[in-house]
Amino acid sequence: MIATVRDDPTVVDLVGRARDGDQEAWEAIVERYATLVWSVCRRHGLSGPDADDVNAAVWLRLVENLGALREPAALAGWLRTTTRRECLAVLRGRRRQIPVEDQDLGDEVDAASDEWLLREERHIALREAFDGLSERCRELLSLLFADPPLEYKEISARLGMKIGAIGPNRQRCLERLRGSPGLAALLAASGNRTDRR
Amino acid sequence: MNDDELLDDLGAAMRARASVPPGFLAAGRAAFAWRTVDAELAALAFDSAETGGVLSGTRADDAALRALTFATATLTVELEVGEDGLLGQLVPPQTGEVRVERRDGPPVTVTADDVGWFVVRPVPAGLVRLHVTAAEGGTVVTPWTTL
Repeated sequence: MIATVRDDPTVVDLVGRARDGDQEAWEAIVERYATLVWSVCRRHGLSGPDADDVNAAVWLRLVENLGALREPAALAGWLRTTTRRECLAVLRGRRRQIPVEDQDLGDEVDAASDEWLLREERHIALREAFDGLSERCRELLSLLFADPPLEYKEISARLGMKIGAIGPNRQRCLERLRGSPGLAALLAASGNRTDRR
Repeated sequence: MNDDELLDDLGAAMRARASVPPGFLAAGRAAFAWRTVDAELAALAFDSAETGGVLSGTRADDAALRALTFATATLTVELEVGEDGLLGQLVPPQTGEVRVERRDGPPVTVTADDVGWFVVRPVPAGLVRLHVTAAEGGTVVTPWTTL
């Protein structure tokens, strides 16, 4: 079984607080996982009003199940499965004449799917770690991961930073990113996984 | 993961966030208003849409398009989606207040009579759930369902 963030204290805390009626904790959950819901919709070829319906249904189901979640730390997996079901319901409604068995349902527990979930969880941790960086680091890294990429000369001009300082600052900011608790745990988990192969 | 890989992955993560439609976050936040603390969540025990159709001949005069059953330990709510309305039955039979909650509109409240029978006309569209205050079976809410 592939390691996920079973012991992620943030999500367990957020779910616990949302369960008790804390709106802020709920909003933090939505901000953290909305990208995952959207990503599942895209994987099923859904966008626009269909995706909006799926999204609304997923969050309503999470609200109604807050008290019943057996494993709050595995929320990403729960949301993936729930979103997937809602996507399939929309697709079924569209193609009512096609039996469910004949649709491409994939295999929920296959390795590619686990790989995908692990990547989504890592992305969630990366975004949180990024949000926790200093403004200077966020600016620098944003220019460094820009697509299409920018030349150091351009980055230097935009930030008023010497070209020779970009490399060391990049290293320092990425080091801080790695040090964020949520990300550190995940990178360690995926590192162990690679070692085992 | 080296620095180059980490930076690439970070870029992918940030671009993924930027691609989420703004309505997604708004709808997600708004869902919390539907949090219910006064009712027990009933489990979906049967849905003809998932088993491949309603058994024919169960109701000779009024063919149901779909049948659903929701249950808690003390109350069962049987539903039949008909051509012109949603027919419901509380089991065991008892009076009650049935509030049909809709994500996209105001709720509709009907009364279950003394044999537990209720009707909602027309069939409510979109995502709905039933909030049932039964005389003896307690207060129960069904999962959100598209009828």
